[in-house]
Amino acid sequence: MIATLDSNRRWRRAFLIVGGIIAAYALLAPLTSLDAAVSANVPLLADRLWFRIATYIAMFIVMATGWNIIGGITGYAAFGNVAFFGIGAYTTGMLIAKAKWPFLAALPFAPVVAALFAALVGLPLLRLRGHYFAVASLGVGVAVGELVQNIDYGGQPLFGGASGLFLPIDSIANRGLFFFYLMVAAAAISIAVTWWVLRSRFGYGLIAIRENEEAAAVLGVNTTAYKVAAFALAAALTGLAGGIFSQWNVFINQDNAFPIEYNVQMILMALLGGTGTVFGPAAGAILLQLLIQFLGGTLPISFDLPFVSETARPIVAQIILGLLLVGVVIFVPRGVIDFFGGRSRLSLSYLRRSLRETSL
Amino acid sequence: MTLRNLGLLAAAVVVAAVACGGSTSTATTTGSTIILGAPLGLTGSLTKESTLTQQGYNLWSDWINAKGGIVVNNVKHPVTIKYYDDTSSANQSAVLMQKLITEDKANFLLGPYGSAATATDAAIAEQNQIPMVEANGAAQSIFSQNYKYTFGVLSPANKYLQGVLDMAATLNPKPTTIALLSADDSFSLEVADGINTYAPTKGMTVVLYKKYKNGATNLSAEVQAAKAANADIVLNSGHLLEAIAINKAAKEQKLNAKIFAYSVGPSTPDFITALGADANYVYDGSQWTPQVKYTPAFYLSEADYVAAYKAKYPGLGDPDYHVAESTAACLALERAIENAGSLDPTKVRNALAALDVTVFFGQVKFDSRGLNIYKPMVVEQIQNGVHHTVYPASVADAKPMYPTPSWDQR
Repeated sequence: MIATLDSNRRWRRAFLIVGGIIAAYALLAPLTSLDAAVSANVPLLADRLWFRIATYIAMFIVMATGWNIIGGITGYAAFGNVAFFGIGAYTTGMLIAKAKWPFLAALPFAPVVAALFAALVGLPLLRLRGHYFAVASLGVGVAVGELVQNIDYGGQPLFGGASGLFLPIDSIANRGLFFFYLMVAAAAISIAVTWWVLRSRFGYGLIAIRENEEAAAVLGVNTTAYKVAAFALAAALTGLAGGIFSQWNVFINQDNAFPIEYNVQMILMALLGGTGTVFGPAAGAILLQLLIQFLGGTLPISFDLPFVSETARPIVAQIILGLLLVGVVIFVPRGVIDFFGGRSRLSLSYLRRSLRETSL
Repeated sequence: MTLRNLGLLAAAVVVAAVACGGSTSTATTTGSTIILGAPLGLTGSLTKESTLTQQGYNLWSDWINAKGGIVVNNVKHPVTIKYYDDTSSANQSAVLMQKLITEDKANFLLGPYGSAATATDAAIAEQNQIPMVEANGAAQSIFSQNYKYTFGVLSPANKYLQGVLDMAATLNPKPTTIALLSADDSFSLEVADGINTYAPTKGMTVVLYKKYKNGATNLSAEVQAAKAANADIVLNSGHLLEAIAINKAAKEQKLNAKIFAYSVGPSTPDFITALGADANYVYDGSQWTPQVKYTPAFYLSEADYVAAYKAKYPGLGDPDYHVAESTAACLALERAIENAGSLDPTKVRNALAALDVTVFFGQVKFDSRGLNIYKPMVVEQIQNGVHHTVYPASVADAKPMYPTPSWDQR
């Protein structure tokens, strides 16, 4: 037993060191793209492609961590969180494109508007449970996108309509670097918020709701207020990511501000990493997004899949992704964060135990 | 040296110079490969159109590489088009565009399929200052952003039905009143706006302008309104299914007009299949038809293009206009690189801005926004179940059958 503890501790230390090195590298490497570093010929991943992928990863960390608050900690499987992403994107986008606000002044309104909207729809929606809530939230996600595209004011589309909304390309120096660090900051905020939630009275209330809502109510938890607050908090974080996205991407429309597949991806990331934990969704977001980009052939490291032609690659990639996720859900129900924290080791007995748990 | 000898020497020099000059078109040295990048939706919802786009790009790259490549200052540069599958996602298209520029060192970019991806990628091209020539993003809003590096070879949406009015103005008796129906999506509204502003310049009046919900299939109320308006021309700016619905309702409600013209729909074989003989006499606006006859400055003639397409992609029938406009984008880029005499992105960008060339697709010339407003749309009419190009007369293979007989006399 002592030996296991020792080995766990060693494992944990090794993980922290390796993770720290990788994180430091990922965060500092972009700095080598500054003119000074470029002229000094520092060879790293620090190019615009890396920025773009790394910024996407940070963006998904925010969304998966945000989803975790309502889906993982509170236990309400929200399938329409992309609505908040889109609302955040359009809030910032409208303020910049139509009202000509500067980006940093417009950005704080993205989480605020997204949270207000979530509180508004949350009141009726969160009365539903289980599948009913999942389906209703999915409906909201789709409906908001349609509304944004089709609302007219004075005969003109209010939000740019089907043509979308163009933001001016800002003249920020080292643009890629700026948005990368901004998105990383948003990711750090979302993780910090989760950490605080899990240690607060509010968080205990949410966990109580997840485990047994009636019992929580009996114990004096104001379940409606708690659930709506959790939903709004998740929306605020997701909306923040959307707000940054709009200026980063400079063009938003229904397709890219309300992508249906993000609904699924953020949930899968949280599941893959470990729902209800602080770092799980972030770990899942990093792994899944890297895997998606790797299978899509966008990473600097890439190899040909054996027996797979160039044209079939995207389809095979989707299949691999699907199988992997099925495997994770069945065999690693607590997410991969379970291994990183030193709580468990990936072994045959672990897989067998998991299979027993999930096949109940 | 005698004067005569001097004359001979001068003649020899001239001959040598001409010979050298002549040899510039058959450059012998081979330079670096030019890499063009194009993210396309090879899987996902835009697979069909993206595949057509890729066919258009490939037809050109086969042709140029058979010649040895693009000639820049007497050096032949072979061409490779690097494709990535963006799974029909605009966001993924942007990542891939950046990869093409950063990792694959693409010299120039070809457009993706669809307005959303084109708009996103235009911003990437702009930030990296690499020219992108696109053929499949018709939304004009892309070109209202003061972007300097994006060029579109296709006629903008507002021109789609203007050719019909041009044609109508030449007919006798001249039609003067228009009933205009439009779906409420951005493309269709841009088409309708084009008519509203253009009709007065042709001495015509829009007596009815009615919008309907994009995707509507019951349009009898709109057709009834058009009948009450008693207009000479009935225009619809919408899509295939709406065009079919309007044509059916027009027959049921005996809406007779001298011209029925629909923006999108009649050019596809499905329109004739669905309506049979009722499809006859209907006009539509098209970017290109296999029947057009321009005088290409280079590349293939229309007939040779159709033949080349059928040889490379047998069993698919004539090339669709998506294919043709995609090939035209490549041709514009090729000629701009030659004119620039350089692979420098900014020089090629300037050459694109100054480009004025006619190819099998029509004239390619860009206004200050990067839009090709110079190529006319052609007008097609279905005559006895077959598509014929009827306007402009210079490229037509048939005369318009005018006026359309009333429904009880067909």
